[in-house]
Amino acid sequence: MRGTVVGQVWATRQAAGLDGRKLVLVAARDVDGRATGRVVVAIDTLEAADGQDVTVAFGSGARNVLRAGPDNRDLLCDAAVAALVEGAG
Amino acid sequence: MILGRVVGEVWAARKDARLGGAKLLLVRPHAWYEPAFATGHLVATDEIDAGVGDDVVVCLGQPARLSRGRGDDNTPVDAAVMAIVDRVEIDADGAARAGAAPGIHRRLELPRGLQPPRRPEPPR
Repeated sequence: MRGTVVGQVWATRQAAGLDGRKLVLVAARDVDGRATGRVVVAIDTLEAADGQDVTVAFGSGARNVLRAGPDNRDLLCDAAVAALVEGAG
Repeated sequence: MILGRVVGEVWAARKDARLGGAKLLLVRPHAWYEPAFATGHLVATDEIDAGVGDDVVVCLGQPARLSRGRGDDNTPVDAAVMAIVDRVEIDADGAARAGAAPGIHRRLELPRGLQPPRRPEPPR
């Protein structure tokens, strides 16, 4: 999913294996780049700043951002920033 | 994941064996989330000891199921508390530009009729 970072979330107490990583709020866009009104929380390993366009991986793809599979099913994570977008056509 | 506030706790006398001793929390999402948009809340398992009033990050779907089953995908769980939030900074202008749900600007209060739970009296 493509979206824009609109906020930062800090949480020191997290489920095991997540190492207290920073999280971001991402406002989702649809396939044409229009706002959807939907906001998700994603783990951020790429230091995405507010206003940054990003892609978010969901499901097992999100776990692969944190630790490449197959032995990552213990990670409690369903969304992670996968890329910082520079442009989209 | 979604952001929400713990507004209550649920105890169950009888529940699916695969739930084990899971602690169940009532979470009211802050931002737009479809099923909760209809019901106003969701029920999440909690293994990091969140309490009423805490803002939490809730993980949905398969990772939540796996967390309860220790690798077993066949648990009756669809939401699990993943983190307890210390601080949130929202870029209000950016959120407005990106069309973010207005709910994320609002600090939600306990919904009417839903008060912090009192532990039930132990059976005599």
